[in-house]
Amino acid sequence: MIKILPLLLGLLFVAGFMVVVFYPLLKKRLGLFLAIFPLMIFVLLFLSIKDVNSDYLLVLHGKTEFLKNIFLDFRVDGLSIIFGLLISGIGFLVLLYASWYMKNYERQGHFFMYLMLFMAAMTALVFSDNLIMLFVFWELTSVTSFLLIGFDYHLEKSRQAALQSLLITGFGGLCLLFASILIGQIAGTYQISEIISQNTDFVNHPQYKLIFLMILVAVLTKSAQFPFHFWLPGAMQAPTPVSAYLHSATMVNAGIYLLLRLKPMLGETELWKYTLILSGVITMFLGAFFSMGQKDLKRILAFTTISALGTMVLLIGIGTPLSIEATMVFFIVHGLYKGGLFMVAGIIDKSTGTRDIYVLSKLFRPLPLTSIFAILSLISMAGLPPMLGFVGKELVYVAKIQLPGLSWVILPLGVGANIMMVAISLTIFFEIFYPLKNKPQIEIKYPEKKLPWYFIAGPIVLAATSLLLGIAPGGLNTLVSNALFVTKDQLIDVHLLLWHGFNQVVLLSIFAVALGVLVFVYRKYINRFIHYIIEWLNKYHLPTLFMKVLNTYLHVANKNTSRLQHGYHRFYLMTFFLVTIIIAAFQVNWNLSELKPLSGYTPININMLLLILVGTLATIFAVFSKSRLSAIIAMGVIGYVIGLIYLLYGAIDLSITQLLVETVVMVLFVMVIYYLPNFALLSTRKSRIRDIIISLMVGFMVTLVVLHANAINIYEPISGFFAENSYLKAHGRNIVNVILVDFRALDTLGEVTVLTLAAVGVYSLFRFTVNKKINNGQ
Amino acid sequence: MDNNIRNIILEKVVQLFLKIMLIYSVYLLLRGHNNPGGGFIAGIIASTGFIFYAMIYGTEKIKKLMFFSSRQWIGFGLMFVFISAIIPLFFTKEILTGVWINVEHSITGAIHLGTPLLFDTGVYFSVTGVILTIAISIMEVLKWN
Repeated sequence: MIKILPLLLGLLFVAGFMVVVFYPLLKKRLGLFLAIFPLMIFVLLFLSIKDVNSDYLLVLHGKTEFLKNIFLDFRVDGLSIIFGLLISGIGFLVLLYASWYMKNYERQGHFFMYLMLFMAAMTALVFSDNLIMLFVFWELTSVTSFLLIGFDYHLEKSRQAALQSLLITGFGGLCLLFASILIGQIAGTYQISEIISQNTDFVNHPQYKLIFLMILVAVLTKSAQFPFHFWLPGAMQAPTPVSAYLHSATMVNAGIYLLLRLKPMLGETELWKYTLILSGVITMFLGAFFSMGQKDLKRILAFTTISALGTMVLLIGIGTPLSIEATMVFFIVHGLYKGGLFMVAGIIDKSTGTRDIYVLSKLFRPLPLTSIFAILSLISMAGLPPMLGFVGKELVYVAKIQLPGLSWVILPLGVGANIMMVAISLTIFFEIFYPLKNKPQIEIKYPEKKLPWYFIAGPIVLAATSLLLGIAPGGLNTLVSNALFVTKDQLIDVHLLLWHGFNQVVLLSIFAVALGVLVFVYRKYINRFIHYIIEWLNKYHLPTLFMKVLNTYLHVANKNTSRLQHGYHRFYLMTFFLVTIIIAAFQVNWNLSELKPLSGYTPININMLLLILVGTLATIFAVFSKSRLSAIIAMGVIGYVIGLIYLLYGAIDLSITQLLVETVVMVLFVMVIYYLPNFALLSTRKSRIRDIIISLMVGFMVTLVVLHANAINIYEPISGFFAENSYLKAHGRNIVNVILVDFRALDTLGEVTVLTLAAVGVYSLFRFTVNKKINNGQ
Repeated sequence: MDNNIRNIILEKVVQLFLKIMLIYSVYLLLRGHNNPGGGFIAGIIASTGFIFYAMIYGTEKIKKLMFFSSRQWIGFGLMFVFISAIIPLFFTKEILTGVWINVEHSITGAIHLGTPLLFDTGVYFSVTGVILTIAISIMEVLKWN
């Protein structure tokens, strides 16, 4: 059954591209229709859960070879199923949600195409069993998320945010490619399953540090870890469905997935452990801290995502079985509540027109269902029973306490982050939903009754799932223990429980909640304090700093380009000739007596002599002629002479081409000559002498090089091969043509492309002048 | 050039010239694999015919005559080239490898038809398109009508 997974993945990509066809047919129903595709994957994965036992692993070998030894293989195990379920499930809900959310947008077709491709790339990423394919999908998510974040491209802010996220995650992607190649070189294969089963010792390899550094950069950029975190709050410029998807199950979680996937190969070293713990702790605390000071609901949520990602990286860094278990559960928890809350933010935005939590108020009555499930999600975010968030948070605490030596740093910061979460959840609840607060009731454009079911289905389903799993977390046991088996390579039984009995951890939770309430009560003072800090930090505002660096870079590049590309054709030619002459002068043999042709001298041919005579005379005439037309005709004569020389040596194709090109050039010349300014001597004596010297040098050098070419034979000439195989292998008797279209077809392809570019260049140049004339009223 | 002055002899000659050139270029294209000729040469010859036609009749007329704009012909050419490059992939061969079909016929004998011919046709179209794009651009700027 699961074997049809690659097919469904392919279908997802196809559906993405087919949006072009679907959109005119379905219009507003497009999102609903497209939601079928992720739903199919979700159902397939859901049905396959029953096959999963603790040491389950299935590798589906692809038949298509993309590059040498790179197959499209898929890997199904607990880890990829957990990720796949969340990606396809939330993807399904997001598509439903988006089909109403986006209804008034223009370019909906574009939006759904990007979204589907994003979804497909992300799903393929977590199932890919090949490092290179994993990289390809990784980059594809970066590119599609760039398009999605910058969807409102008429806004400067969106464009900037999109560019930032692309540059940062793209940079990380390149690092990932580098690391993948290194891993592949060391292991001899790119198949993840093979690398793991080979048990290659990466950890003691001299290049381990480099590989780890590259993977680290890839993860830190993709998962928005400090100091690369700043692109994620900017990314909320995207339409809300995208934010909901980006934050909950995709994109930023790709980094988490990569760490878990590579842990068996690269993990369990001091370097791995401490680097990840350090970056995770900082990100976790900073994210939670900054989310307190925000007003925009989406921005608050974006910062809590950063905090959650930090927690996950930290847990992976700790690396004990319990902490990995906690990572898995926390990933599910986070995906469920964050997706739901973002969708709620979008619903509120649609029905009231604002996302400022201090303007919004008393939404419980107009939006009852949404509010109930949003509050459930908030409870999950705060980590309170009976939601899955509680289970996750307890596990996180256990994992943090467990770590000897470092728990004195991690635990306070972790509890601190949790306190903030509780406070934020309470703040959002009181400011937005609480019906008894003495704030003016906000005006509602769309009360809940007017919203279609599929628009509010997302948060409801996600929160309900979270509640269900919170009451009965045992349903996740086998999946998580299989994921643990994959990442830790040892069999561990997982027993998730909502209530572990009264212990140290519960005490910590109670402490965190109590302090959270306290922070909430004094939030005004604390917010003011945070604002001070944010203002102080704004001096080093990372996005601006990043843009500054980028702009400086562009400025320098611009200056350099204008210095090199000055636009004077004569100086281009001079530079080119002089450099060539100097390089050639170092290479040629100056002992001219050694330059004897290898094939011996051929007897002097009277026709040849005549041609050379004519050519020389024409050259002299062209140089000294006082009329432009006659100079051009003399040049034409030289061209024809060369064509005839080819003919004398039996190169018929070459000669025909030369004659024809000469003719066409002549025709074009004659066409424009009438319009050129008068032929006059404008250059000074000095520059003419300089030009003469350069051209004499060029002529001398070219002659010397030609003589050399005749006298030296470094490799066996390839013409013999062409002559032998032209008819036998390529079915052609005209060797020149066979070379052009068969043996060296790639060169020809390149040449045709270059020709096209030349034509486009000429066309646009002339267009430009024509338009300028029209604009000037001529 | 003034539109009022018409040179009927020149017009007729150019019409004939264009037809001959086109037929001759197709002939050169088809025989290119075994005898002197080929897509590049054929392309230049065809475009020469068109240029002379355009010089007499003006660029508007030539645009109508070509069905598509010269830039679109470049596009067709490139498309042919890429298609012929990709076809071998479906026969589990490397990109750009020639794929051949043998056509047996009582009169002509065995003819080898293959992707190189398609490739050459692509070259033919794009070369024609390139030269004509350049020539027509120049003519339009000079207001050659």
